[in-house]
Amino acid sequence: MITQKQGPTRRTLLGAAAAGAALGTLPGLIRPAAAAGEFKIGLFIALSGPASLFGPTQKACAELAAEEINKNGGILGRQIKLIPTDAGGPPAESTKSAIRLMLEENVDVFVGSHDSATREALVATIKGKVPYIYTPVYEGSECAFNTYVIADTPEQQIRPSLTWMMKERNAKGIYLIGDDYVWPRKCNEQAKQYIAENGGKVVAEEYVPFGAPNKFEEIVTRIKSAKPDAVLITLVGADNVNFNRTFAGFGLDKDIARLSLLLEENTLLGIGPESSGNLFSSMSYFANAPSDAAKKFKADYVAKFGDKAPQLGLIGADCYGGIYCAKALVTKAGGTDAKKCMAASEGITFPTAAGTVAMRGRHVDKTMFLATCKGTEFDIIKTFADVKSGDECKA
Amino acid sequence: MDPLIVTQAINLLYAVSTLAVLALGLAVIFGLLGVLNIAHGEFIMIGAYCAYLIQSWNLPYLVAVTLTLAICGLLGWLVEWIIIRPLYRRPFDTLVATWGLSLLLRKGAEAMFGLGYRSVAIPIPGRVALLGTEYPIYRLVLIALSLAVVGGLVIWYGKSRTGSRIRAMVSNPELAQAQGISVRRLAAGTFIVGTCLAGLGGVMVAPLAPVQPFMGLDYVLRAFFALIVGGLGSASGLLSGSAVIGGFDSVISAATSATNGYFAVLVLAILFLWLRPRGIVARS
Repeated sequence: MITQKQGPTRRTLLGAAAAGAALGTLPGLIRPAAAAGEFKIGLFIALSGPASLFGPTQKACAELAAEEINKNGGILGRQIKLIPTDAGGPPAESTKSAIRLMLEENVDVFVGSHDSATREALVATIKGKVPYIYTPVYEGSECAFNTYVIADTPEQQIRPSLTWMMKERNAKGIYLIGDDYVWPRKCNEQAKQYIAENGGKVVAEEYVPFGAPNKFEEIVTRIKSAKPDAVLITLVGADNVNFNRTFAGFGLDKDIARLSLLLEENTLLGIGPESSGNLFSSMSYFANAPSDAAKKFKADYVAKFGDKAPQLGLIGADCYGGIYCAKALVTKAGGTDAKKCMAASEGITFPTAAGTVAMRGRHVDKTMFLATCKGTEFDIIKTFADVKSGDECKA
Repeated sequence: MDPLIVTQAINLLYAVSTLAVLALGLAVIFGLLGVLNIAHGEFIMIGAYCAYLIQSWNLPYLVAVTLTLAICGLLGWLVEWIIIRPLYRRPFDTLVATWGLSLLLRKGAEAMFGLGYRSVAIPIPGRVALLGTEYPIYRLVLIALSLAVVGGLVIWYGKSRTGSRIRAMVSNPELAQAQGISVRRLAAGTFIVGTCLAGLGGVMVAPLAPVQPFMGLDYVLRAFFALIVGGLGSASGLLSGSAVIGGFDSVISAATSATNGYFAVLVLAILFLWLRPRGIVARS
């Protein structure tokens, strides 16, 4: 008895190895059959790095859309299979993943919610071979072949809100502060034009290194002595939180309004109720947006993921619209052929977290909201209906 | 005097003193035990989460100090016992081990609290008029507290019996052991003091930053630079390093831009590593 307990014999080992080998090859045997039935979407979201805070929401919203579409027969009769891929690291890492997804997984469509530096790298890598749908907020002017943008553009996000602030709040001198990369710099280029149109002037323009451990005492002191009427903030994530907390800590929030261009629910929780006075955000979606579509989306989201679901916000909810955009595009084009998709894109309509939108010039016209912060909640004070993207790409 | 210059001068003092207190725990562990504790920032993060918890339980802010000392003390004791003790005098191995520890602590915080930002309300809000300008009270309190903590520890290290035992252990462990000093216990105690100091630093800065699992990385970098520039194993090294790194960063950020300030910090750290690797105040 004792000898039998000593461990596996050579024969059982061989048997196990053979069984293991057989199991290992099985998925390979099944794969081609399954692949033909699946519609694969490479989903670029932030699974690591500073933006990974948004990852769980991005993934959950994409899953919600995929589940709804799959229940109704999928895309062209094929069930959606999401392949969540990290785009939270350096752009070069995301491009490697894109190549792998194209060559090994033969993905049908890419959907991406990530920063603009990564988008530029992905556009250069994908080269229009696979339809690529870009979803969050961005600086405008992306017209690459076979690339479709449902993101908020500066014409939608900045022009109405900044004009409102300059007119209603009589803000003439604007201080621009942002992280040092493509999105803040291009947004500020646009903002300068809107400021000039409204007879205001730029007090100063300043950038902090992106990804460095920034602190803001010196900058806030400089803003205090420059005495602007408003600050336009293109800082992201922890920088946005740090800046706004320091700003209010030094008591500047009473006299100087702040309009932040990437201020969603998570960031506002970090800024906290004592630091969110006189702070505004402009976006096409807030978790408490009043439209019926937004309410239904939120109810479905909570029904699927429960009360402990990741915090809803624009960065994340954008992926829901991205998946539906893929369905509308590919269904109308009858496949993923690049030229057919390009031709089909004009005029497609599809649901997003905020409501149904139509594509025009590979961008989307949409309703924009301006919200002020009440503690750690957004209070929508102004709705701008049907704002044109201002970026119409030629076919 | 121009209020702008006064405020920037206080900003400078604030940058230097908070950097000194945030680097203090690292200086104790690195300078005295020769252990490069990469997880230093994570102990700061744990202190900040303690502050967050205490505030969400509606307890007085100072209770966070007790909670932090308990948690960072216990963790420090476990870590020294399990990870660090077998690796003394193997600097590279401790570096890798504490790097692993930092990942574990960060993921632990992520599992408990998620990646979302938490905000801690400033316990002493408001501003006070000072030399013709206004300055946030809590930051002024932090300056005073930082100087008191650093000064207190330096005096204790120089005057107390335990301080002289630690000095004996640092200069010659075998001889200290022969003299009846329990080097093992003393080293464990020193490590625990280091992790507790890091936690205390976290409690102090929690109301000024977003509390989240990755926050430690923001502090550990400047703390390392301060030690590189100042030199290891002495209070004057810590203070001069903090003054140079924190000071240059603050002055250049105030006079030009934050990008130049950060650039100056990196250049200084590289220059010191290259030309004066033992720092300003080199231990003999």
